Amino acid sequence: MFAREWRGEARTRYALGTVVLFAFSTLVVTSLALGPLGVAAPERATVLPALLWLILLFAAAAGLPRSFVQEQDRQTATALRLAATPSALFCGKALFSLTLLWGLQALVTPVFLALMQLSAASPRGLVLALAAGGYGLAVTSTLIAAIISQARARGALFAVLAFPVLVPLLVMAVELTRAAVAGEAATVALGQLILYDAAVTVASLMLFPTVWNP
Amino acid sequence: MTHLLPWLLWLWLCLVLAAALFYAPLGEQFIGQSSRILFAHVPVAWASFVAFLAAGFWSLRYLLGGRRLRHDAAAASAVELGLLFGLLATLTGALWARIEWGTYWNWDPRQTSIVLALLFYGAYLALRSAVEEAEARRRLAASYATLGLVVAPFFFFVVPRLTFSLHPEPVVNVAGQVEMDPRMLQVLLAAGVGFLALFFWLHNLRCRIALLRERQEAGGAP
Repeated sequence: MFAREWRGEARTRYALGTVVLFAFSTLVVTSLALGPLGVAAPERATVLPALLWLILLFAAAAGLPRSFVQEQDRQTATALRLAATPSALFCGKALFSLTLLWGLQALVTPVFLALMQLSAASPRGLVLALAAGGYGLAVTSTLIAAIISQARARGALFAVLAFPVLVPLLVMAVELTRAAVAGEAATVALGQLILYDAAVTVASLMLFPTVWNP
Repeated sequence: MTHLLPWLLWLWLCLVLAAALFYAPLGEQFIGQSSRILFAHVPVAWASFVAFLAAGFWSLRYLLGGRRLRHDAAAASAVELGLLFGLLATLTGALWARIEWGTYWNWDPRQTSIVLALLFYGAYLALRSAVEEAEARRRLAASYATLGLVVAPFFFFVVPRLTFSLHPEPVVNVAGQVEMDPRMLQVLLAAGVGFLALFFWLHNLRCRIALLRERQEAGGAP
């Protein structure tokens, strides 16, 4: 499934293009709006992690719902129901979203740090925060995408459905990122974020067959 | 006999209202008469909490217990009523906060959590209205509600650290002690019973309406 997703993506480059361009446009707008000096130095560690996660959230909301919506649009959903078991399908789609998001983070975060004149005191903590937050974001988005692909007004609905579920993840990810930038230890928040990731993974694997099969 | 029960409920709620205004003493350390809103605010908040728990419970029953129409109708009705009661709790709370804290809104942890709960269940209703096919609507809504049940415990980790709280000590608190004038407590508990009964009565009505409508759409006699 995972290989199939990337082969399809290699043909159209739709998701990659959307997500990367969306993230960079938002980043440019944010940076321009803040002016050449950016955020004042004392406030950087508190303000900028939240901005980074907002950019990532919007980019994810723009690109990730497509994974299931396109199956419905191209009318390949029924063939997929026959060809793959629900768990294989979900894992493939989630892995695709995950690699896409991690790739996006790897591209956007260095540019963000450079543009905003932010340096991370603990680069390892930053990578951990981005990886754990991106994982939960990818898994949750995949399940919500499967839900909305069967509804009308999909684009708007994705944000409406995903936001309340993602709030704990975003709060913890922002706090972890802030701690990494400031060089503080945040083992409790990291543990809670990993717990959230695990809970969402188990719930998605159990719920996905119900969501997918009529 | 059962048709008398709603009238008994209205009588009970009128008595509670009278007791809240004339029998219960004013809370100490509260400005003016502001503590009297307690008898509406707290029971309504309880009712909305119970409604959201009930919605999760009926959604799970729907998914696990053979996809019965009435379980789905019960979950959807509980969400609608939970939203109504939650909105009332937010409004009464904001009014009280304006008097006591000087501002309608200050992102107190309780305000934050109720807004997130309202957003989640608003999204639940948006999802229901966006799916045309009835079977898919029930299945997807129940799945989304279950996802909410899984995520909800994390708000207990997250919300308290966002801000410190000015909210008065809850009646059901960690220490397990009730620090309240006995007469106030009597009225509060009576109001709690009244509003919970109101919720269950309205829920029963909404469920029956939903099932009748469902049957009518299916083409059978109502």
